[in-house]
Amino acid sequence: MNIPAKPDPLVNNWARPFWDGTREEKLLIQKCSDCEQYIFYPRMACPHCFSENIEWVEASGKGTIYAFTVVESNAPSPFLEDMPYVIAVIILEEGVRMLSNIVDCNPDDLQCDQSVEVTFEKMNDEFTLPKFKPVKA
Amino acid sequence: MSNLKGKGAIIGIGEVPTGRFPEIEAIQFAVKSAKLAIEDAGIDKEEIDCIMPTAAMFSGVFTNEMATGRIVEELGLKNVKSNSNIWSGGSSSSISLKLACALLAQGDAKNVLMVQTEKLATGMPSGQAGIDLFAFAGMSNEWEVPFGQNFSSLTALATMRYQYETGTTDEQMAAVCVSNRKWAEMNPHAFFRKPLTIEEVMSSKMLARPLRAKMSNMLFDGGSAMIVTSAERAPDVVEKPVYVLGEGGSNTHFVYSQEPDITRFGFAKAGRQAFEQAGLTPADIDVAEIYDSYPIYQVIGFEELGFCKRGEAGEMFLRGDTWPGGKIPCTTDGGMLSKGHIGAGGSYSLLVESVRQLRGEAGERQVPGARFAAETGTGGTYVDAHATILGNEIP
Repeated sequence: MNIPAKPDPLVNNWARPFWDGTREEKLLIQKCSDCEQYIFYPRMACPHCFSENIEWVEASGKGTIYAFTVVESNAPSPFLEDMPYVIAVIILEEGVRMLSNIVDCNPDDLQCDQSVEVTFEKMNDEFTLPKFKPVKA
Repeated sequence: MSNLKGKGAIIGIGEVPTGRFPEIEAIQFAVKSAKLAIEDAGIDKEEIDCIMPTAAMFSGVFTNEMATGRIVEELGLKNVKSNSNIWSGGSSSSISLKLACALLAQGDAKNVLMVQTEKLATGMPSGQAGIDLFAFAGMSNEWEVPFGQNFSSLTALATMRYQYETGTTDEQMAAVCVSNRKWAEMNPHAFFRKPLTIEEVMSSKMLARPLRAKMSNMLFDGGSAMIVTSAERAPDVVEKPVYVLGEGGSNTHFVYSQEPDITRFGFAKAGRQAFEQAGLTPADIDVAEIYDSYPIYQVIGFEELGFCKRGEAGEMFLRGDTWPGGKIPCTTDGGMLSKGHIGAGGSYSLLVESVRQLRGEAGERQVPGARFAAETGTGGTYVDAHATILGNEIP
């Protein structure tokens, strides 16, 4: 069977710095300069105080698994060859949430609230995806 | 403060069976459902002055036709003031009903026709093509799709976290499917009507841990319609009006990962608003028509509305409290898990079933003496939670 290419992120123009960052293996998130809250995914205005005074900062890349699953069947076509693969919601140290994959792991050993850290996977010349791997004890 | 309690009443319902009907067009479902609802209400069709069709996922062309008045013409209606699409996925019926009641309350409408149809089984690609299509429905193409997210995986995330926090077992989650099937066995409009066991659910193919194939809905064709009028007028029109007593809603996210609590969503807030408005509590409810689509959402809706303490629902579904004859019958049409998933029709179907139950016309499924029903709806990737309280009297 022909496996179609994985879908590139459909980038909103104000989120461009995030994807420029991952290409350089940096996990950039936004921070509101007025209310000082961290923001992800990137917004046009702070979702907390509505300020447009937003800066980009590099996240620590550390976080915990809020929830995860191991996809074993019925994946979308571009992901069929990856099964089983792990999808997880990560809560970064900065408090923001991000959907990603857990890689470099044995799926049977994963647990909710487990510590993970960012790692980067190059898709193509334009896009590098931030993924996460368990922190070795 | 605004209060929709006792302002509107459902006086007519119409529904076509859920299934695979390649030879029937969506507009046929729509006309048939609407005609049944009008006849059920016993009104002259020319008394309908407002129509709220709901968009269909299977066809942009059909949705556009409905948005621009095809149903008005097909039914030959002469006195329609407004025909306006209401579309928020699985919560479309909740929102339509609340808007209908608001228009009726202020005298801007006399009889509102709500109508929904889908052709998810035979009107669009199935198999892997269907999986691929739904992988992009309601999901962020920037923040989720590139990671292989799909409806099974996002539901598995909620299920995994919920089971982790509450200790609910796989067997208890599977029991939701069994509970719904027991009701569907008695529903001639349901697609899956053969008895289902916990073992069958537990041994079905793993989709995304801990979600298995038989914990997943399947897509079908179908539809339904309702006529809503003012509570003041309703008793003069029909013998058994079903009154809208309370409604509540809460939008909590668009991108699934941004939901602050995927083990709760907005159902507690929606339920609180609806019960407060109705002046009732969960203990007053005779039948809980809780939106399923997957077991986790039915469990969460049931708990967050207050039918039991958090973490106790699984055991209730397992030991039969929600089954026919149980102390709080739940999702008595079989839900999307057994009656079948017809898109926004999931919650439409539960409203229609609520009306049947409150009129005492649910046949074998009838909950004896049912006076009050609670119904929930939610759209997209469970982005909003809606609760509606209905009764055959205004308490």
